[in-house]
Amino acid sequence: MSDSVIALSETSDGAIMEEPVYAVSPKKLTVWLFIISDAVTFGAMLFVYGYLRVGSTDWGASFNFPSILNGLIMTFILLTSSLTMLASVQAAKEARTASSVKWMGVTAMLGFIFAVLHLREWAHMRTEGWGISQNPTGHSVQFSAAYFSITGLHLLHVTCGIIAILVVAAKFRRGHLTAEHVVTTGLYWHFVDLVWMFVFPLIYLLNAVR
Amino acid sequence: MAVTAVKETQREPGFPFYIAIWAGLMLIAGVEVLLTYHRGFSTGMLLGALLILAFTEAAIAVVYFMHLRYEKSTLFWSLIPVTIFVLLSMNQIWADALRMIKVRPIPF
Repeated sequence: MSDSVIALSETSDGAIMEEPVYAVSPKKLTVWLFIISDAVTFGAMLFVYGYLRVGSTDWGASFNFPSILNGLIMTFILLTSSLTMLASVQAAKEARTASSVKWMGVTAMLGFIFAVLHLREWAHMRTEGWGISQNPTGHSVQFSAAYFSITGLHLLHVTCGIIAILVVAAKFRRGHLTAEHVVTTGLYWHFVDLVWMFVFPLIYLLNAVR
Repeated sequence: MAVTAVKETQREPGFPFYIAIWAGLMLIAGVEVLLTYHRGFSTGMLLGALLILAFTEAAIAVVYFMHLRYEKSTLFWSLIPVTIFVLLSMNQIWADALRMIKVRPIPF
């Protein structure tokens, strides 16, 4: 007889089942695997940015204090949206549908404000002559290519997140989706926030005019 | 063969705890900006400090906001070490990046 130990759990209908290895739903595991692959994508882009910066002899500093302040406000907004998403997830788990939907609405609104601030920053830079292959400061154009690529990919994620939150909120309110869907959407939104935690210091702060 | 009862899932903290975590993350972001304008920091030192703070923020977000702290440890051990390994593997580019600085432009 072996000495191995089997952990058992009881299902909602009273059946005794062997505990699953990860003890998370397939939906949640799928979102985690997506997040891991997306983290590697962003990681690769940030490494490319680092490579270009280290290999450049003419990088220069690009952001004045107003841009840094705008980035800090965007950071606060995105962090706050993570908190409101947590409120939505907690409400969904406690079957408080109306509250969950309300907090998802607030989260989407904060995400929208973040996107507007970002687009405003881009529009301002365009008027100064910035472009994906244009650097009005006269320094390396590789910075502008890296900046617009990385922040553009992040903004795309924010936009997809806002759409996903609004769709899930609408369907959850009508009872077509479960609390598990709110949880997985929240996971994705927190990941978008997590990526910004690297983009802001590495892209904005390290290129600040000091 | 021994049979054990399933371990009770760790209880998640209340919302005030998450508000404290959020405030801590906001504080770290503020510290990052303050360090950026600190005169005594070279670019290399600033990079090191910002990376430490960014990884701290990310770890807090993954553990608490993404609830990895309250999942089974098998999920953590299946996902996080391999991700860190893949990201660290990308470090091999630095040698070539440093070589690029010494490459002279081809004269026209």
